[in-house]
Amino acid sequence: MLPEPSLTAGSGASVAETLFNALFTRGHSHFTGVPCSLLKGFFRLLEDPGCPASYIPAPREDSALGVASGLAVAGARPVVLMQNSGLGYSLNVLTSFNLIYDVHLPIVVSWRGHDGNDAVEHDVIGRELTRLLDVFGIPWTVLDNEHPEDSAEAFLKQYDSGRSTAVLIVREGI
Amino acid sequence: MLDIRDALGALLERESTALTVTTCGYITRDVYNIRDRANHFYLVGSMGMAAPIGLGIALAHPDRRVLVLDGDGSFAMNPGCLPMVAEHRPNLVHVVLDNGAHESTGGQRTVALGDPAAMALAAGYAAAHTVDDLDQLAALDLTGTPTLVRIRCKPRSHPAGKRVEQTPQQLVERFRAQLADPAAHLEGAV
Repeated sequence: MLPEPSLTAGSGASVAETLFNALFTRGHSHFTGVPCSLLKGFFRLLEDPGCPASYIPAPREDSALGVASGLAVAGARPVVLMQNSGLGYSLNVLTSFNLIYDVHLPIVVSWRGHDGNDAVEHDVIGRELTRLLDVFGIPWTVLDNEHPEDSAEAFLKQYDSGRSTAVLIVREGI
Repeated sequence: MLDIRDALGALLERESTALTVTTCGYITRDVYNIRDRANHFYLVGSMGMAAPIGLGIALAHPDRRVLVLDGDGSFAMNPGCLPMVAEHRPNLVHVVLDNGAHESTGGQRTVALGDPAAMALAAGYAAAHTVDDLDQLAALDLTGTPTLVRIRCKPRSHPAGKRVEQTPQQLVERFRAQLADPAAHLEGAV
């Protein structure tokens, strides 16, 4: 499916490649977001000139949700990627657009600070990430790097073809 | 300086078939009360997101024209989106209705905006204009896009019209149905 041999899915594919292919083969053809070091392998795929998907770099996470929301309203299937620090900026768009218009998005969120041993700026959001998602009733799945296809499946089942905003949490770098 | 309803009326007539995204507060309410059409997509919240949402719609439907109706307050909230909009060269006209006030919240003054047209050009918009009256607005060539049009307006003297009566879900459903109608962009949606 991808022209670059290094990007080919199947045995030997990286976690990022497997996740990308799981999303792309299910019709998710537009990706937007703000990078995180834990997601750098995924962003490398998006920046590859041979990538078959559209990539729309965003200046901030709420604007990524905005452009993805416009795509979804208009019938496309976008995916948003961000670091968990960006969830704060995102809450206004989630609560005053996505969750009230029922225009739902699949969101991949990295989990800096999950073990309490990360840089200090990640401590609070790292500690509270899943609780924050629970407060807003947003279902989440933690990516199992050993079985990324299964995690992608669970994530997309929660997204339910656009009937629910859902988050795939990436704890270990991909 | 223009009455904001005159500016909106002229834009809705000129770009009658454009996929139109309105920023929250009185601009959504004014547009809804001037003319409610299926090609209008009203935001009731998410201030600052009209242009990013308009960009997403434009990317999904490059054959259609997109009109974004921002206020000066909502523009000031998210000028960071300008380079993102510019990068993709969408067929999008980004209007900033500038009356220097957050009128929906009681008329407090907005942050001093500087020059939104210059900001748009610096961010990579193909063109940007500032107009003060209907003749200047009518004379604009809006073929090169994305284009920003700042329209200097007077503070509102009219009461806010009624709120949008459709539910957010109904607005989405109506907008999608209009997108699926091949005749809509030719005839204008009703």
